[in-house]
Amino acid sequence: MAEFLQYVITGLAVGMVYALIALGFALVWKSSSVANLALGQLVLISSWFTYGMLVQASLPYWLGLPLTILFALLLGWIIERFALRPLVAQPILSLITVTLGVAYFLEGVVSFIWPMSVAALPRIFPVEPVHIGPAVVSQEYIWAAVISLALFGLLSLFFRYHRMGVAMRATADDQLAVQACAIPVTSVFSTSWMFACVVAAIGGVLISCIGGITFGLVETGLKSFSVVILGGLNSFVGCIVAGPIIGLCENLGGGYLTPLIGPGIKDIIPFIIIIIVMFIKPYGLFGETRIERI
Amino acid sequence: MKNSRHKLVIGVVALALLIAILPVVGACATKPPAEGQALKLGLSICMTGKAAEKGSPMGHGKLDCIKYINEELGGVEGYPIDVHWYDNSYDAAKAATIVKKLMDEGCLFFTTNASAMMTASMEIANRAEFPGLASFSSPACTHPPKHIYAQMPDYGDDWAAFAKYYMENIWQGEGKPKMALHLLNNSTGYGARDAARAGADALGIEIVATEEHAATTMSEIDSLTRIKGKNPDVIFISSTPAPTAIILKNAYELGMYPGVAIGCAHASFTKALVDLAGADIAEGVYGVIPAVAWGDDVPGMAKMIEYCQRYHPEDEGNTDYMISWAEALIDAEILRQAIKHTDYEVLARGDVESWRATEMNGFRNVKGYDVEGLHGPVDFSNPEDRRGSKSVKVFQVKNGAITAITDWIEAPLVKYEDLEWFGK
Amino acid sequence: MDLPCGTRNYDYAKDMAILRTRTHWALFIGLLVIVFTAPLYLGNYWLGVANLIGITIIAVTGLNILMGYCGQLSIGHAGFIAVGAYTAAVLTNRLGFPFLAGLICSGFTAGFIGLIFGIPSVRVKGFYLAITTIAAQFIIIWIITHWSVTGGFVGISVPYASIGGISFKGEASQFYLIMVITAVCILFAKNLARGRVGRAFIAIRDNDLAAEVMGVNLLHYKLLAFFIGCFLAGIAGSLFAHWIGFLSAENFTLTDSILYVGMVVIGGLGTTLGPILGVIFIRLLQQGIMYISPVLENAFPGLPAGFATGVGPMVFGLVIVLFLILEPRGLAHRWGLFKSAYRLWPFSYCLDIT
Repeated sequence: MAEFLQYVITGLAVGMVYALIALGFALVWKSSSVANLALGQLVLISSWFTYGMLVQASLPYWLGLPLTILFALLLGWIIERFALRPLVAQPILSLITVTLGVAYFLEGVVSFIWPMSVAALPRIFPVEPVHIGPAVVSQEYIWAAVISLALFGLLSLFFRYHRMGVAMRATADDQLAVQACAIPVTSVFSTSWMFACVVAAIGGVLISCIGGITFGLVETGLKSFSVVILGGLNSFVGCIVAGPIIGLCENLGGGYLTPLIGPGIKDIIPFIIIIIVMFIKPYGLFGETRIERI
Repeated sequence: MKNSRHKLVIGVVALALLIAILPVVGACATKPPAEGQALKLGLSICMTGKAAEKGSPMGHGKLDCIKYINEELGGVEGYPIDVHWYDNSYDAAKAATIVKKLMDEGCLFFTTNASAMMTASMEIANRAEFPGLASFSSPACTHPPKHIYAQMPDYGDDWAAFAKYYMENIWQGEGKPKMALHLLNNSTGYGARDAARAGADALGIEIVATEEHAATTMSEIDSLTRIKGKNPDVIFISSTPAPTAIILKNAYELGMYPGVAIGCAHASFTKALVDLAGADIAEGVYGVIPAVAWGDDVPGMAKMIEYCQRYHPEDEGNTDYMISWAEALIDAEILRQAIKHTDYEVLARGDVESWRATEMNGFRNVKGYDVEGLHGPVDFSNPEDRRGSKSVKVFQVKNGAITAITDWIEAPLVKYEDLEWFGK
Repeated sequence: MDLPCGTRNYDYAKDMAILRTRTHWALFIGLLVIVFTAPLYLGNYWLGVANLIGITIIAVTGLNILMGYCGQLSIGHAGFIAVGAYTAAVLTNRLGFPFLAGLICSGFTAGFIGLIFGIPSVRVKGFYLAITTIAAQFIIIWIITHWSVTGGFVGISVPYASIGGISFKGEASQFYLIMVITAVCILFAKNLARGRVGRAFIAIRDNDLAAEVMGVNLLHYKLLAFFIGCFLAGIAGSLFAHWIGFLSAENFTLTDSILYVGMVVIGGLGTTLGPILGVIFIRLLQQGIMYISPVLENAFPGLPAGFATGVGPMVFGLVIVLFLILEPRGLAHRWGLFKSAYRLWPFSYCLDIT
């Protein structure tokens, strides 16, 4: 029984971190229907920049972290302006491949500026875990969950009530109509990429606190794909709900199936879930079913 | 407007084609010929890509040492070492083409720094009788023994040495201690499992749990909960620094550590582990490294530290740099034995005769070379045992620093190819 | 296909010919001569690169049929290549099958597994399907590494390819084998595209609802596209296994899958020439970048530490981005424009370049 509680709590905690990264993906998809394959590298470069600020330049937290946010804004703007704006009307495949090129480029930049490949951030959160009954969860996860929920709340409000948010939703629906209403579509794209980079930066800092800065940050983005598929590609509510679900399935499934099947089953559970979702409910729990007409 | 865009497009396409044709041009425009005669050495290094965290400092270590040998020592028996190195980006197809390139360029033997890269190159090398030396190797590289040699004991040997040390020095109870294995999901981790399968019973250890993790894991609380349920006395982790740090932190959170004894294989036991996990959590963790610790008082340490600080100060304190420096010293020793016992004309040809000569006269004549104290003595003369150094040291994290607690322990040779469950 | 001015077709055979004029035949025979005498003037290394290019062309041709002609996005191709490679390895190493039997079986195995993972394509499109194929890749690799038959994490060695008594040991003999099989696959892909099946694929790609209304059976043709694409991947995998000699699961990563997608897009989707040009371009670019780092490091020892490690991926990513911005329809399109400009010279400005 104690095991079950531990699995549940760890699953929920880890799932919230996945949801955080998935938010960045959903943001770009929701406003411009572009699949952001460079998400992992965005997380990576923001984490390294934080390292540069906090450790190499020895800035205090209240200065270093806001600078990271500014850097993420700038990076998002640059990527959108120079890599994606020229391809505005091209087929979706070219856009996806361009994000791939951007991903390679960012990896090269990281190797160029920070040649050491592993680094540790200073301890922002205390090490003592929090005890919930017989189970433990480390404080970093609790903060990650709180911040995910806060971001989710902020983004939902922004998309519902702020002018730019409404414009983003409209652009995802019909670009031509938005241009007819005198809203600059290019600034909508810019804003969505900048926000996505900021979300990736926050996610990166949190994950780096948990596991250090390594090239493995890139692959954390892959787990978020399963969150995004389960929740629906263009739904924030879907991300927040699907994240903990995937985390729970991973930990409970891994926990109880490992003695039966063998070690390593935990890694494959998110992908099996993707396949199952594809067969049963392809657009995810909260996604919009696309209606196509000839 | 259209016209200039047209020109721009053609210009970019031409530029890209030019970059693509660069290797052909480079092949024709040969390297400036070394004055007189030189010995060619081929290196296949993972400078970029997934394994760059280890590959990059290792590349720096090798190249700096060869620079030292050529500039200060005047080369090997007067012959400078002509080093040809390429970056394989931890990509198997690239590694396969690199080893062929090195064969074409007439290198006498080649070295790799990751076991995955050696497995990608080894069949091609074995078929052509081109000898190779692997810094980090796995049992598949050297069993059954063909033309590939290993610089140091592999991850299976780490397990055997730690298990032996544990039984003799740490285990105080009666009966069989219970050991849990936590393995990375590649040949690094499973090398330890194979060794445990082959040797646990003989040593009197009971393996109660085998868990696996991915290199990008964020939380191992679930696997450690399962391990906790089996009440082990010792956990052995064979992995890389980042996931090992996560396991240590999770073990601390679950209250398992301090408590059980934890031992690590050499792939993860570096300063990066102490940084990532935090010196207070990593305190008291054991580890096995087939080399001395950075800064120990051995003959080769001072020169290595000098070059590291001069050319690559960001690698200071990195065990991988040191192991690579040692490997370059071994490469020089192999070349020295080869040139002492063979005519230069045979070696200069760079064909299968040169490779046979390098292997028989070079490798096999390296007996008891001390590598200036940086790791255990290297001996390639036994045709059954392709490992150079056969001994390891057990270390422990004390006050945030990795300190040696034993002298050299010899790891026994396990003939995996005789065991029927060893896939081949 | 554009033809030179003044070429008239008076019968069906001439109309459908791939090589229509005498110039076409001359150039083609010249190309064959250059390619098949390559072992005489290329060294071991360049033959190895040529072999790798040939193997990749087969795989990417399969991906092109799937993505370019049928419009089904697939970022899991390395997984299907792995299926082919491991099937060949297990059959020839553990069960003693001859090389050709192993080749055909690996094609069919990869095809069937592709078929299974292609079933969701009937319900979803676009990026959803792409994520399904990514999941397929991870599941396939997981099964390979956790199944003792395929060698688990240790890996499995593969004997030489041999047909009858001839054993393909050296680069040169493998070169001929691979080039012949590549030529057969390219011819197959070209004829597939021109025939009924190819037209059905293109109809599905352009608007699958309209295709269904016109009587194209979506389930049948989408699954057929997956089968053929993965069959070719399986054949490429088998040749790769024999070429490299020792397989380990780390040879087939997600990065490779993404690279294959990049090759198709840069070469030109939906053309037969596209995969060939894309593969040659990217493989040579990789070799070129691999070559740059040591040259730079030797020439300028005073460079900062991260330069050599960082410049490779930076140049690679930059080339891909620039390419897609400036020529999004790929190299094949640019080649077609070049041919047309050549034919219309000196009136090439009449062409609409953009």
